[in-house]
Amino acid sequence: MNTYYLYSILATAAIFTMLALSLNIITGYAGQAMMGIAAFFGIGAYTAAIITTNGGNFFLALAAGMLVSGAFGAVLGVISLRLQADFLAITTIGINFVMEALFNRMKITGGTLGLTISKPVIFGVKMGNKQFFFLAVIFIVILCLLLVKMRKSWFGMALASINNDSAAARSFGINVNKYQILAFTIGTAMAGLAGGIYAHRMGFISASDFAFVVSIQVVSMVVIGGLGTIRGPIFGALLITSLPEILRFAKDYRELVYGLLLVLMVRFMPQGLIGDDSPLWNALTGLWRKVFPKKKTRADLIVESVKGGEQA
Amino acid sequence: MKELMRIEGLKMYFGGLKAIDGFDLSIYEKETLGIIGPNGAGKTTLFNAICGVYTPTAGKVIFEGKEVQGTPAHEMAKKGIARTFQISKPLAGLTIFDNVVAAAGVHEYTGIASYFHKAKTKEVEDKVEQVIRRVGLESVANKKASDVSLGFLRRLEIARALVTEPKLIMLDEPCAGLSNFAINEITALVMQLKSEGQSIVLIEHNLPITMKVCDRITVLSYGKKIAEGTPEEVKNDKQVIEAYLGEEDD
Repeated sequence: MNTYYLYSILATAAIFTMLALSLNIITGYAGQAMMGIAAFFGIGAYTAAIITTNGGNFFLALAAGMLVSGAFGAVLGVISLRLQADFLAITTIGINFVMEALFNRMKITGGTLGLTISKPVIFGVKMGNKQFFFLAVIFIVILCLLLVKMRKSWFGMALASINNDSAAARSFGINVNKYQILAFTIGTAMAGLAGGIYAHRMGFISASDFAFVVSIQVVSMVVIGGLGTIRGPIFGALLITSLPEILRFAKDYRELVYGLLLVLMVRFMPQGLIGDDSPLWNALTGLWRKVFPKKKTRADLIVESVKGGEQA
Repeated sequence: MKELMRIEGLKMYFGGLKAIDGFDLSIYEKETLGIIGPNGAGKTTLFNAICGVYTPTAGKVIFEGKEVQGTPAHEMAKKGIARTFQISKPLAGLTIFDNVVAAAGVHEYTGIASYFHKAKTKEVEDKVEQVIRRVGLESVANKKASDVSLGFLRRLEIARALVTEPKLIMLDEPCAGLSNFAINEITALVMQLKSEGQSIVLIEHNLPITMKVCDRITVLSYGKKIAEGTPEEVKNDKQVIEAYLGEEDD
């Protein structure tokens, strides 16, 4: 495998990792059904592409893609307040189709001809697959650090509470509506950022790049990896983006394989391959814990204090 | 005794259904008030209308001298009104400890700003541990809420309410579905809270317990108050007996 090809796959994997992490904020942490992440991926991509093709700065374009996508996401967040799980899923599917149709029809997005974007030159270097890969990795690392902090914060606690039971969450002071809108805004903004990178890396985008099937791919990544964890979506994205290479023999039936995988995972391993409490992850952490025992949590200490008391 | 909450002419209609139809009530500081009534009398609806789950169709809820009717549930919690649910609502994927931590953050959920504040600080963990010991959840503190029995979930409901340091705690059938043994334990817990000076409103189907625990009892039937008084007065009230047992044939 030559390095050009390798970086091409890695760049795709990195961009999809960003997408999977952004969907994970909405679906994994906040527990909101979201089947239309590709629409926001597209909004970010077109926004950034339109800006740079009109002479705008690349990084400015990425930021704009993020903002515009996040703004649309906030609107979806408001809509989501009135919709329960299944209905929200269907609505987001609908939004994906509407956006794809708009990308296909609107003059500003180049209609069916799509948009051609010239590769940006940063510090005298023309960005190629390799550079885009490293750029995406930088964003992934930043995002992961932010997510780790989030999970330990009250913000993370609020999302976890809403994910588990929104009525209970309200009963101890969580403004469920506010947090739900925030989750949609942040998640879609991240997807928009991924879109901006994608557009410039590809050099050409058209509506079909942001079709519903792309959303499903991202959902597969998150579900197969492990919903609500940081490692899960990353692993899922790497797996699914390398699958087409592995599944070359399947040719036109690849979508079928994704679909089948998704159904099987949801049915038999809803925690994902390496999600919390998945058999594989338990086995792995079991081995790890033999060498490095888990630091006892406060809750463990409380339990021990009474168990010890009973024995005495 | 100082009045903590007053409810005036509260109405809660769902279309043509008058679930609560003109209800008045005063709740005093440090008292334990029982709300009883046959199935479908409107007890839980009353809780929901008070706690901001529903916006009342009409009437006032006055808490500490301020009108609060229609305030959203999460704001009510911040004002110091904590409630438990008749059907336990654990955060199933979290441990018992983390469930209580989540509730301990009642004043921390400020939106974006809450990202910058760590949840499990030593102060929070100390406070949570204290509540967990107080309600008797020590033995299951590190278990997931989905893995513990109903008796523990009932205690968890109370623990989550207590950790918010409420001025008024509203318990919606804390003994529902429990064994006699577990009922006695929960009753003891409520008695303990009462002795500590906690203001309590209790909905309970188990009449002997309500009679034992409460200072005052209000009887609700078809969305209206039909009696109010000490347990002794209510027990002997003709209307109450009719509502529960039906009218005698003449």
